[in-house]
Amino acid sequence: MQSEKLIQQLLEQTTQITNQAEKLKTLDLNTLTWKENNTSWSILECLEHLNLYGDFYLPQIETKLKTSDSKPESEFKSGLLGNYFAKSMLPKEKLNKMKTFKDKNPLNAKLDTTVINKFIDQQIKLLDLLNQSRNVSLNKVKISTSISSFITLKLGDTFQFYINHIIRHLKQIERIQLAMKNV
Amino acid sequence: MKEIVALSDKTITINRNEFLKVKGSIDTNIYYIESGSLRIFVLDDYEEQTIRFGYKENIIVSLDSFLTEKPSDLFIQAIKKTVIKVITKQQIEKFLETESNRTLWTKILENLVIQQMEREIDILTNSPKERYERVLKRSPQLFQEIPNKHIANYLRMSPETLSRLKKS
Repeated sequence: MQSEKLIQQLLEQTTQITNQAEKLKTLDLNTLTWKENNTSWSILECLEHLNLYGDFYLPQIETKLKTSDSKPESEFKSGLLGNYFAKSMLPKEKLNKMKTFKDKNPLNAKLDTTVINKFIDQQIKLLDLLNQSRNVSLNKVKISTSISSFITLKLGDTFQFYINHIIRHLKQIERIQLAMKNV
Repeated sequence: MKEIVALSDKTITINRNEFLKVKGSIDTNIYYIESGSLRIFVLDDYEEQTIRFGYKENIIVSLDSFLTEKPSDLFIQAIKKTVIKVITKQQIEKFLETESNRTLWTKILENLVIQQMEREIDILTNSPKERYERVLKRSPQLFQEIPNKHIANYLRMSPETLSRLKKS
């Protein structure tokens, strides 16, 4: 895939994500903290979970972008693992449950609407990083995953994986809103 | 302008604070605003700087991207709920195949150049009071359509300075 085409696609997805988050800002705190049962997440918990991922990935990507001396390449080729990770994140027809790592689980943390603002700030940061990534190779820059610092993904795959993960949980948020309506 | 708007076959609605375009994206569309308002801004070190506004019956476009078909640094964001008609570059190109349409198009572009020059003079004017008066004289309607804090940013002054100038 052409690198520029991938960046355009990721910018477009990030725009949609940001707009969806702006809509959530209009909801009241009761809706934002509502949950179907004790072990399921509220809207704010979903967003906080995403913020925790952002805290892990965004600073690392920023540092790697600053220190990389790789040259931009017109073509990006997904790695085997990267492609698998990115695809596995996308929500299926019927939401497939996935396990959350303990340190990324916000269940029952005290949360307020600042969570949404932080999430939107992270999306603006992501836009900035996507723009900066035009100056490096999406293939050669490697990012450590949150699973293990020994497992690294290409920058291009990391962006896809990271954004698909957000899309996954925004779908979950839509489901929460639906479930709440049906109560 | 009516002729250009008539080319559109797509209407979209965006809510307050939602983005029509973000930094780095390629956007070759022209947008006609049916209702609501939008602003164009750039992020300079996380500081937003508003470049232009659009409100009902205006055209708004990321002109750099429209002309070059390359990524542009501009953000376009809705100030309130906004309904816009989308006109694509392909539709414009088709329209310009007719000779008489080209005259109309040139007029629109000339108008845009004049507006850009006015804006350049605004920015280079030292006195905040004069900057305010220039814009007030040129676009009195702007002050009806757009919240103060955005106009203050556009005029490169604090909202407090703007409200003081409005009273004097």
